[in-house]
Amino acid sequence: MSVEKLSAELEVILVKRIQADQLFLPSMPAVATKIMEVLRDPDAGMKEVAKLVEKDPVLAARTLRMATSAAFAGGGKKITLQEALARIGTKALKGLLVEASAQKLFVSRNPQINDQLKTLWEHSVAVGILARDVLALTGNGDSESAYLAGLLHDVGKPVVASVLLELERQLTEVYQKGWIDSGEWLAVIGAVHRKIAVALAEKWQLPAPIVTCIKDSGEYDKGDRHSLANAVCFSNALSKKAGIYAGTVDAEDNDAVIMIGRSVIGISDDILRTLTKGLRERVTGLYD
Amino acid sequence: MPAILTVDDSRAVRTIVGKQVKELGFDVLEAEDGVQGLEQLAQATVDLVLLDVTMPNMDGPTMLQKMREGGNQTPVIMLTSESKRSIVAGAMKMGISDYILKPFKPEELRQKVLSVLQGEPGGADVVQAEAPPMGGGATPATPDPTSGASPAGGRFVDIVVVDDMENVHKKLRSMLPGHISMNAHTSAQAALGACREKVYRVVLIDTEIPDVNSAVLAQQIRVLQPHAAMVALALRTSNDVTKEVREQGFDDVLFKPFRPETVDDFLLRYFDNQDFLQVEDNVLKVAAFSGKADRIERFYARLHGAFPAALEKVAAACYDEVVLDVGTPPLEGDRLPKFVLAVADKSKEFGMSLSLVGPADVRKVLGGYTETKDLKFFGSVPEARAGAAA
Repeated sequence: MSVEKLSAELEVILVKRIQADQLFLPSMPAVATKIMEVLRDPDAGMKEVAKLVEKDPVLAARTLRMATSAAFAGGGKKITLQEALARIGTKALKGLLVEASAQKLFVSRNPQINDQLKTLWEHSVAVGILARDVLALTGNGDSESAYLAGLLHDVGKPVVASVLLELERQLTEVYQKGWIDSGEWLAVIGAVHRKIAVALAEKWQLPAPIVTCIKDSGEYDKGDRHSLANAVCFSNALSKKAGIYAGTVDAEDNDAVIMIGRSVIGISDDILRTLTKGLRERVTGLYD
Repeated sequence: MPAILTVDDSRAVRTIVGKQVKELGFDVLEAEDGVQGLEQLAQATVDLVLLDVTMPNMDGPTMLQKMREGGNQTPVIMLTSESKRSIVAGAMKMGISDYILKPFKPEELRQKVLSVLQGEPGGADVVQAEAPPMGGGATPATPDPTSGASPAGGRFVDIVVVDDMENVHKKLRSMLPGHISMNAHTSAQAALGACREKVYRVVLIDTEIPDVNSAVLAQQIRVLQPHAAMVALALRTSNDVTKEVREQGFDDVLFKPFRPETVDDFLLRYFDNQDFLQVEDNVLKVAAFSGKADRIERFYARLHGAFPAALEKVAAACYDEVVLDVGTPPLEGDRLPKFVLAVADKSKEFGMSLSLVGPADVRKVLGGYTETKDLKFFGSVPEARAGAAA
């Protein structure tokens, strides 16, 4: 099956599942394990839980969905995980964690696909960290919301990846058929993830600024220079420049995004020099 | 004098840009479009072109293309209200040095013009530029031309505290000796601004500043203050906080809430005993004591720890006489006589005689002890020196 055909069919399947609220949303293995540890610890508080949730885009999205209410619906309010967690409450949150820990992601037989999967997660966290730091260090905007927006900007990728892994398992284990290589795997995700993420965000009524980041127009908003979308757009390019990205990067185009973003957001070279310093260390080990 | 060509169809933009560039000491040439711009380049030597994108007759990208095709490699900064990535990426392929979006702040124009003319990397290249190492001895960052003062030329301050709680500033200030200078900021922005203008010996950063990653802030400040010690301000928890903050790039941790003994240890570590016992020629001067009564013991313990090295320094300079200016120390108990006696004994070991300097109440206390009542005592350092010479 060609990449185009597989992408098209996958998109149909996923959109149907989203509409029917039957989407399987697994957590990354490391997060699932840590969730179990937290649940076993009677002294574990909201802070420990928040630390877990903020490392996993899917879990963060689910938390936001649960917390979606009139307070968030306007889209103009500050959106932080802490607020969402407080809104949900400990009991409901633990229920969510139990569910999440049981839905552990499949592992591919292809080690290259596993590497790509790992990088998908690391990229999301890296963009979250960078977006928060960009707004915090320039003294503009809502940096905690920027973290969440960065974390969720590619939320469609793990969703599509999980379905691909599910398909791989069925084809290879059940039907003993071959599977696509890591390049095609990434191409399918690249072709489908944006539409799936938007469908998911709209179905779940995620806050409007987050949805804007997920839609990714690829251009900066000159009218609101310190918007979450601009911070995420810039951080996405920085993360790619730093090599924390699964897929091919058009280097010249990416450099243009960084160059424009420096001026749009007002990033001095001093700040730019330090933004990606130590970034790899901060995101390494999240998935293992 | 370097010359800059501004190519823009807006007279207002040309005027503003021209004024700011002249303030930097550069000559300014103007052109209304690409055609005029190329004519200017053919007639004059230009060091930098500030180029708009959308203009009548010939737009910026076309002018840039013709410049490069004609072998003109003059640096170009794109100054435009155009932010489409495809257009900027196209211009980057033709070698623009930087990009400024209109409307712009004068600081951004000045900084980018100076950076390009000084040949510094701009844009995405900065991302890969090596940042200074986390340890000491790093090269200072390039001074911000807009700041007006480089870190090296700024005023020296002992400590800067970055903590969103003002009470932390007040508490720490109350526990520091008066001669230790301290700045305090509640936001990362304010701290970064201060670090561009001043030189600090120790930077204290709260590990829980709202909306700021403390480790990143520490890295940023490290660039501006390469020789400062970076100390995390953290709450005491059961976790291994010290290990955690060291992994984040901090040199040390100072725990909150502050305790006298930990603040003293901090001072001892970063401000050395010289601050408590200063040495100048053959004079040892004891710093004023400004703490509470419960810190007197530690004050004297520190003096006992510091004076042997100070005496050794004086002896190494071949002085026969050492002067101990005790200032106004705490007089409770027998701590002062014991300290003075220890200094006298050690001085004798080094072959030096000891003269004391201090106010009358100190003289009275020392006169009350057999071991110290016969030591030479003067009201001032000049008197002590004159007495030694006599």
